[in-house]
Amino acid sequence: MAIEMKVPSVGESVTEVTIATWVKKDGDTVKMDEIICELESDKATFELPSEASGTLRIVANEGETLEIGALICNIEEGEVKTEEKVEKPKELPSEKSDDKKEEPALSPSGEVESVLIPSVGESITEVTISQWMKKTGDIVKMDEIICELESDKATFELPSPKAGVLTILEEEGAVVEINVKIATIAVGASSNSETKKEASKSSEEPAAKLANSSDSYAANHPSPAAAKILQEKGIDPKNVDGTGVGGRITKEDAQNATRVSDISVKPREPEPQKVDTKPISGSTTSISSDERGSRREKMSGLRKTIARRLVAVKNETAMLTTFNEVDMKPIMDIRKAYKDKFKETHGVGLGFMSFFTKACAIALQEFPTINSYIDGDEIIFNDFIDISIAVSAPKGLVVPVIRDAQKLDFAGIESEVVRLATKARDNKLTIPEMTGGTFTITNGGIFGSMLSTPIINAPQSAILGMHNIVERPVAINGQVEIRPIMYVALSYDHRTIDGKQSVSFLVRLKQLLEDPMRMLLSV
Amino acid sequence: MKYDVIVIGSGPGGYVAAIRASQLGMKTAIIEKYNELGGTCLNVGCIPSKALLDSSEHFHNAAHRFAEHGIDIDTLKVNMPQMIQRKSKVVDRMNKGVSFLMKKNKIDVFNGFGSFVNKTTVKIAKDDGSEEQIEGDKVIIATGSKPTLFPFMNHDKKRVLTSTEALSLTEVPKSMIVIGAGVIGAELGSVYARLGTEVTFVEFAESMIPTMDSSMGKELLRTLKKNLKVKANFSTKVTKVENKGKEVEVTAEDKKGEIVTFTAEYCLLSIGRRPYTDKLNLEAAGLKTDDRGRISVDEHTLQTEVPNIYAIGDVIRGAMLAHKAEEEGVLVAEIIAGEKPHINYNLIPGVVYTWPEVASVGQTEEQLKSAGVAYKMGSFPFKALGRAAASGDDDGLVKILADKTTDEILGVHIIGARAADMIAEAVTAMEFRASAEDIARISHAHPTYMEAVKEAALAATGNRSIHS
Repeated sequence: MAIEMKVPSVGESVTEVTIATWVKKDGDTVKMDEIICELESDKATFELPSEASGTLRIVANEGETLEIGALICNIEEGEVKTEEKVEKPKELPSEKSDDKKEEPALSPSGEVESVLIPSVGESITEVTISQWMKKTGDIVKMDEIICELESDKATFELPSPKAGVLTILEEEGAVVEINVKIATIAVGASSNSETKKEASKSSEEPAAKLANSSDSYAANHPSPAAAKILQEKGIDPKNVDGTGVGGRITKEDAQNATRVSDISVKPREPEPQKVDTKPISGSTTSISSDERGSRREKMSGLRKTIARRLVAVKNETAMLTTFNEVDMKPIMDIRKAYKDKFKETHGVGLGFMSFFTKACAIALQEFPTINSYIDGDEIIFNDFIDISIAVSAPKGLVVPVIRDAQKLDFAGIESEVVRLATKARDNKLTIPEMTGGTFTITNGGIFGSMLSTPIINAPQSAILGMHNIVERPVAINGQVEIRPIMYVALSYDHRTIDGKQSVSFLVRLKQLLEDPMRMLLSV
Repeated sequence: MKYDVIVIGSGPGGYVAAIRASQLGMKTAIIEKYNELGGTCLNVGCIPSKALLDSSEHFHNAAHRFAEHGIDIDTLKVNMPQMIQRKSKVVDRMNKGVSFLMKKNKIDVFNGFGSFVNKTTVKIAKDDGSEEQIEGDKVIIATGSKPTLFPFMNHDKKRVLTSTEALSLTEVPKSMIVIGAGVIGAELGSVYARLGTEVTFVEFAESMIPTMDSSMGKELLRTLKKNLKVKANFSTKVTKVENKGKEVEVTAEDKKGEIVTFTAEYCLLSIGRRPYTDKLNLEAAGLKTDDRGRISVDEHTLQTEVPNIYAIGDVIRGAMLAHKAEEEGVLVAEIIAGEKPHINYNLIPGVVYTWPEVASVGQTEEQLKSAGVAYKMGSFPFKALGRAAASGDDDGLVKILADKTTDEILGVHIIGARAADMIAEAVTAMEFRASAEDIARISHAHPTYMEAVKEAALAATGNRSIHS
């Protein structure tokens, strides 16, 4: 199996790096954590350690500039025992990796690797273990995702640092600090079938192994009461997550279990447009059609955070909403006329977001309180305009930030939107990419919303809600005409923003959007 | 009269099935051929034998153990009629208890001999010669078992006895030959040996309680020889039992094929039990028995070949144990009610009420060996246990067998004081598939006999028992 190595996030505001030097050559055998290349950003140089042991396949060459998250190289995983390497170095990738899939267990080495919470971003000091993908006693491969972590900003997948048998130390739901040990990997510890063969060694040996593997055999074993409940519900214990010791199924687990109508448990990549209105995908699945009933799911850490924050905003701000309508015909005319040329020239499509973002940037500069924060008894005015865009991601709503929108042109905005939306969809957004916006735009129109009152993205002071574009009869110069109309809503914190400012801001936006020439001329 | 469920037989399987069925809202009838409810277990099995076992144990202790505890008794004698009468009172009390439970659960009790007319109709032949027929949607056969006898054993109920008569002797025999050193033979042999009877076991197999882990039989034989001076002859095949008037003569073939004879005042026949379906008229219901007299049933639902008829307890496959029958009674009632219960037969404990008691659950070491399972063993002797020393009951041991790789407990075998109660922890742990280390890490009160289980678990975990 090949591990794709990508440019890691190296710090806030660093969006791209240059490959300074390849320390290893293409085809070299590299070990896990061995430095393979040096990267440079405009701020500093970084050493890039290999994420796996195996054969290096370089993708990006020295001198190339790559965005964060871009592919640098592949590591073709394989045994790196030197004697094997010498004999048949070229055969490693395919054959050996296949072997490993079936029997990832190597000979037991006795080495125990700690799984630590990695640093996931500046200012993040703790994360919640949202889900263990693997159970204690499971055999994991190197870089196989073993658990999902959540901060209040994002979710992260945690790959196994080594191949071996997993022992979980911190349960799901635990809040742990960065660098805390949450699990151990008995490196190369073997599966049951293998240990049985060599079972008749010393009497001390099995006892030593217990700590790591004793729980595995009982996973999904229902208690007597749970067994009866599951039998009556027609649920195979294999499909139930046991919360008891070693994955045993308790009576409560059985009571909470629901029948899985088909085995499409939890799609990994749901369609991004659809998930927003649904609850975050949990560990249980839908009820079969012939059953009525309700089911309970634990809220994910992200969902809990969203819930807490939204209520806090409603309670702690003086929020209200002002509305207006925008005749979209001029923008649609411009798009019709220039979208092909724009795409050809800039490599990105010309959407509505660039118009709205640009218009907001201009209007926000004219109404600085709307671009401000309240901080205690003070108001922080920002002389830059960082616009957060609400994007549906598989795990819920995320709000990546378009930085310095006031400096960007239409093409710059569009490419940022595409880049951030793609990363959001792939759960690849970094914390820095989601922090520090000064104003938010949310577009409920893509789901068909006609009108809504969005909630402010704290600590910001205002949020613009875009909606669907509907052809409506409007009076133009005493004539009824059919025009594509979008209602817009601005929710704002009345504590700092007066009605005059908020209404004027929205009117100004309407003016800019209905007559885009004004954006060009800044009038 | 039309019922939802008719239960034939009121032993621990039958009456429990009836109660559970009634709890689940079914109109239930129970048929019992004797005047008293409770079946073998309550009338001529578990309960009376335990009554006598405890009485005889008290006597044995008074005679042989009190002095050591600093209690001197000048004249001590057995009052056999009183002992039997007390036993009868105990049985009577239990009979009344079951009758009360039937009333409480609104179960109609029919006294008389039940037999099938067809698959839904059961005829009750009463003592006064009258007959009655009742109908039921579902019928549960719970007719139990009878002692196995061969004609050459000449069972005369006077000197050649089965367990039933042995529970009602009015004198203490001077000597007794016990044919069959299984559970029943070991228990009743113990009763009389404690009262002073010279007991000789004649057993076809190679050891006592041969179905249990062999270490149990060995330890039991050792303690019975030591404490009760019993004699035992294994690999010996009885060919003839004869009442010679004042004594019984038993002829047998020993290991080498030589003819040997034993004589004693009484002979107890305890070679096993057979399913009791005589005169049940199974054919009328469309049922028949297998070559061992058992009714075949579905492994999970205990449904017979005739869908509305179920069978439980000693008349079907599996160990002939009251608690097994009880579980099956509950299971069948729940199955009929549409629920889906399950019995883990591997985890039905076996118990022998000798002193020391023997109890076991799960696999024996012999079974693991022949199945080729890699296992490890930890054992702990009661000799090393504080409580056992204090009580003076320090015979026996706890033996735990666990999977070599996973440490899962595969079998627990206990011989010692209170083993029968102690086995419950092992059953519970195994129902949850606990490992030996799990038990080893669970706090056990001190000073108790149960600490021996923890110590054996420690020994099985990594040979790290603390007190041995």
